[in-house]
Amino acid sequence: MTITESKKDKDLGFFVRNQSIVVPIAAIFVAFVLGGILISLQGVNPLVAYRAIFSEAWFDSDGLLRTFQKTTPLVLAGLAVTVALRIGLFNIGAQGQLISAALASALAGIYITNLPAILHVIVSLICGVVVGALWAAIAGLLKAYRGVHEVISTIMLNSIAVGILDYLVSNPFREPDQSLQRTKKIAESAILPNFGVIPFGFILAILVCLLVSWMLNRTTAGFRFNTVGKNKFAASYAGINMKLMIVTGMLLSGGLAGLGGAIETLGITYRFEPAFNSGLGFDGITIALLARSNPLATIPAAILVGTLRAGGASLQFNTGIEPEIVDVLLAITLLLVSAPILAKFLFKGKAQKTANVTSGWGS
Amino acid sequence: MKRMRTLAGISILALVLAACSSGTTDTAAEETAAALDDSNCAAAESFCVGLVTDIGKVDDKSFNQSAWEGAQAAAAEVGGFAKYIETTDTKDYAANMKQFTDKGYDVIVTVGFLMAEASVAAAKENPNTKFIGVDQFQAEEVANLTGLIFPEDQAGYAAGYLAGLLTKTNKLGQVLGLEIAPVQKFAKGFEAGAKAANANVAVTTVYHPPADNGFGDPVWGAAEAKKQLSQGADIIFGAGGGTGNGALIEIAKAEGAGTSIFCIGVDTDQWGTVPEAQPCLVTSAMKGLVEGTSDLVKAAFDGSIKGGNFNGTTGLADYHDLASAVSADIQAKVAEIVAGLKDGSIMTGVTL
Repeated sequence: MTITESKKDKDLGFFVRNQSIVVPIAAIFVAFVLGGILISLQGVNPLVAYRAIFSEAWFDSDGLLRTFQKTTPLVLAGLAVTVALRIGLFNIGAQGQLISAALASALAGIYITNLPAILHVIVSLICGVVVGALWAAIAGLLKAYRGVHEVISTIMLNSIAVGILDYLVSNPFREPDQSLQRTKKIAESAILPNFGVIPFGFILAILVCLLVSWMLNRTTAGFRFNTVGKNKFAASYAGINMKLMIVTGMLLSGGLAGLGGAIETLGITYRFEPAFNSGLGFDGITIALLARSNPLATIPAAILVGTLRAGGASLQFNTGIEPEIVDVLLAITLLLVSAPILAKFLFKGKAQKTANVTSGWGS
Repeated sequence: MKRMRTLAGISILALVLAACSSGTTDTAAEETAAALDDSNCAAAESFCVGLVTDIGKVDDKSFNQSAWEGAQAAAAEVGGFAKYIETTDTKDYAANMKQFTDKGYDVIVTVGFLMAEASVAAAKENPNTKFIGVDQFQAEEVANLTGLIFPEDQAGYAAGYLAGLLTKTNKLGQVLGLEIAPVQKFAKGFEAGAKAANANVAVTTVYHPPADNGFGDPVWGAAEAKKQLSQGADIIFGAGGGTGNGALIEIAKAEGAGTSIFCIGVDTDQWGTVPEAQPCLVTSAMKGLVEGTSDLVKAAFDGSIKGGNFNGTTGLADYHDLASAVSADIQAKVAEIVAGLKDGSIMTGVTL
């Protein structure tokens, strides 16, 4: 038709081609609008409320440090879920892997002595990564050799991890003369430092994120991951060892979640207590879906979640709104991203299928 | 057409956003300003009280709610201002207290045993702010930090004594929050009291496993209560914020509630705060949280507050409608025990 219209179609084509970016952003926008309505129903101006969150989380030095601290394990948990999604596995067990690793690194930080600081930190981190990876590998082995669906096994392994850790911190590794169930504090030499408002763990998380992105997009191993994720029958026919892929995929996924737990222990909590780390692994699922299983996109997604969580206190302090509104925002966002409603509404027939989450189901 | 849809969608959203922001700006801003005016807290003549919960909510109908009521009442009495923050992440204690210290609040009430260490650290960092730590025993004195502690074992003992006399099955149950000192004192007191009243009694005790929802897990509390009922317990002590409330409400639904099955509440008179539990609620093991918190806040206002520990009071709540289920003989014996605990002639013998 007219020139202007065809130009507009081209503009829209840009959005259609970049749905994986457009849809999450639109979802966040809708969530904030709906959240804003909920906030205004309580008699508070939503703009004031959102400003309270963001000014605390980004424009206050303590708040900014806390935002980065909260973002760090979320990047890694998101990455853990993402990596598994890439080979069509839905790892719901990031939480269990993360907390097992948090305890493992705490124990390494406490009971390994006479190591120089840098070495002690590295050894403690590795302990966490290894334990997280091994915990996830159980689900991987069950899937590869017994056909147990990983959604079921990882959910159950979460509960098993909670039970075992409760026992371990209540009995053998409990801090002496302490009524709380928790371990001793880790040695000074095992503490991950902060550089001003940037925790060392955050830098590490970003580096790992870049590494994983490179691995998935630029290496043979990554090509195998993606092939398996796209079509496991074709991958199997092409000679890819499926059992090996499933187990390594879970090892890698669990290791990433484990690194998140280890950094949390060594950089923030300095000890293990079951009440710490709650929900981090599950936030990882939110982040992976928000990032549409693109490893680099987990960084902004995690920053968003970390920001909302860090600003929660200021929200209640300044407006009286309960911090749980943050969970409402995230839940709406997740619903809109994972259900294809929004994409169908915006792009109709040209809507892409949602992230390859669904390929893991029923197999 | 697709373009139209997109544009329509976006403009609707924009309209909604505009509507909800502009519609409420003026009135809401004024209201909030009136309700939350703490801009003068740093000034010497103003008196501001901040309260931070550990992992509970201020509307938990027991522990946190009572402390908040006490803080509010005291602030109102001296013409001050009070505000709270509910902690959602146990790693945020320091950050939440800092919200108040940054604004120059005069008194910060930290509610709960779990915040004990964080409160000591914050008090040392802010020597000009008074801190009141509810349920926080102070082993070492910090000049500007007062621990409000209670002889929970006495309230537990009295409740246990009543339960020991009242039980027909000789089986009692306890559904508790986290295994921390204040809860343990309630529980051990209950057991000691029950055994003192009735040597044949057996008490089943269960604590919530360590987690950040230890005092906010009504589903777990209800399940444990159900389990204990099926094992033959006829009187159950539910102690642990929302977790305990879940147990009470479950027991109230049981067959025979109020005649052969009873429950005992905790912290405040839960007859009023958890009406769903009324069918079985024979009494509550109370801590004088409202008075204790309010007394200390007022002491902070007039400057008479001291560091170290401050002993609050405990007691048993009224029987309310279930008084008919408790014979006059039992009532008299329990009253005797309560008096004896008060004057020190009866010791609970509870040690942690």
